[in-house]
Amino acid sequence: MTEFVTNIYNGVIDGDAVGVKNAVESALQSGSIAEDLLNHGLIAAMKEVGRLFEEGEYFVPEMLISARAMQAGMGILRPILVAQDIKPKGKVVIGTVQGDLHDIGKNLVSMMLEGAGFQVIDLGTDCPPEKFLAAIREHQPDIVGMSALLTTTMTNMKKTLKHLEENNIRQQVKVIIGGAPVTQQYADEIRADGFAADANQAAFLASQLMS
Amino acid sequence: MASRLVDLVRQSAHRIPMPIGVFAGLELTGTTVKDVVTNAKAQTEAVLALHEFFNTELLLTAMDLSAEAELFGCQVNMTEEEIPSVIDRLLKTSYDVSQLDIPEINLGRTRIHLDSAADLVKHAQGYPVLGGVIGPFSLAGRLFGVSEALELSITDPHTLSQLLEKVTEFLIVYIKAFRQVGTWGVIMAEPAAGLLSPRAMGQFSTQYIKQIVDMVNDENFTVVYHNCGAKLVHLSSIIQSGAEIYHFGASMDILSALSRVDEKVILAGNLDPVNIFHSMTADKVYHHTHELMDQTKNKSNFIISSGCDIPPHTSLDNLGAFFSAVRDFPYLQTR
Repeated sequence: MTEFVTNIYNGVIDGDAVGVKNAVESALQSGSIAEDLLNHGLIAAMKEVGRLFEEGEYFVPEMLISARAMQAGMGILRPILVAQDIKPKGKVVIGTVQGDLHDIGKNLVSMMLEGAGFQVIDLGTDCPPEKFLAAIREHQPDIVGMSALLTTTMTNMKKTLKHLEENNIRQQVKVIIGGAPVTQQYADEIRADGFAADANQAAFLASQLMS
Repeated sequence: MASRLVDLVRQSAHRIPMPIGVFAGLELTGTTVKDVVTNAKAQTEAVLALHEFFNTELLLTAMDLSAEAELFGCQVNMTEEEIPSVIDRLLKTSYDVSQLDIPEINLGRTRIHLDSAADLVKHAQGYPVLGGVIGPFSLAGRLFGVSEALELSITDPHTLSQLLEKVTEFLIVYIKAFRQVGTWGVIMAEPAAGLLSPRAMGQFSTQYIKQIVDMVNDENFTVVYHNCGAKLVHLSSIIQSGAEIYHFGASMDILSALSRVDEKVILAGNLDPVNIFHSMTADKVYHHTHELMDQTKNKSNFIISSGCDIPPHTSLDNLGAFFSAVRDFPYLQTR
């Protein structure tokens, strides 16, 4: 690991967005390869952040500021990676379902997915089935993520899946779901492709579904 | 000296059941969620209907965790059948926090909850009535944004502390108003603090709750601390608040928690409101309630409850199964 990559890695772990941005810029000016900085710096660090979260050393605030630092680095690397035609691990469309305005879980999952190398198209909150359908048609994602905090809105996950089936698009994507009231049992019941209990598990699940 | 609510729990010859279920029982009066949070009379009738139907031993006002934020100026999404939620954050900068005015409690929906609490006290014939309020960090999160408040805990603790001081000042006045109308206490919901590390929880939640407890608790009134997001790792931080009763959600290992706290501290919880009360059959609700009764049978410092607010449209049969399982249990013989 070069000194640049080490600085990027440590900056993400420490949640130092300015430090990561500076380290990425310095590394690129010194001729480092963008893909190496992504894989060995940003993605490796976010994997470690996920491990620290699973082990109870990091909590949500630490995870959030690490993700912000990762995004600061990604902001510089993304156009270079696109120009070099380096593909992300996969593409994910994500949003909270219709009627649900609670986005902290969805935001954390988005960040962890980005940190795992996915391209994320965030539809925001309160997304009706038609919005998911339109986004799938436009972006052709590999995975669709739906989030709900309320028991009254989680039923809209089923409605969204039904809408995708009625429009013959369900088989084109894997659908993963999550949120406080959501369980594996519910995922099985509505025939989603996966359920994750937290953001780190969501990133792991998405990676599994791509393999 | 312990409060009268603590004395009641300790001296009871049976385990006291206290599900948080105002919204779940609305079909008894045909009331909507919106009615309950916007009309004191409708709320009182709904709570009294539950009390009469299930012979509840404690009467709780609605857990409406957007009322305080709305009073500060947040916009709230309100529909007939969903518990209201804050649409967007009110504060975005440290300057916004410095300029934040503390609102008058007699305006807005906080007045509705106070009026309902006062009505319930009048009609409860001596049964304890508890009000429902939000906790300081959770209120700060609604005002500044939950994600943003969590980030502030690391990036700008000074601004977060300034905001917490303001909301704490407001909450002390609001809770004293519940005391004034004769309630036995309030359940203070502080779920967002469960996302913090134990150290940060101490700094950004517990110390402010302690200030509130110190200002409002007396022999007739007590703050019941509620956190449905807290885990066992948070327990030692939480009990530094000095509250007498702690109500936890399904994420708390309640048996381990009971083994770790002093017998003077009362714990409450923690049957899953969604995955048990809302989603299971009455038979299974009965089974899980009986199981928790059995596991806690040697503990006098425990109130059996749902781990959080039971969702609207939960079957009344399931609520009934919970009460039956508690009342069928041979509590005294097993102690």
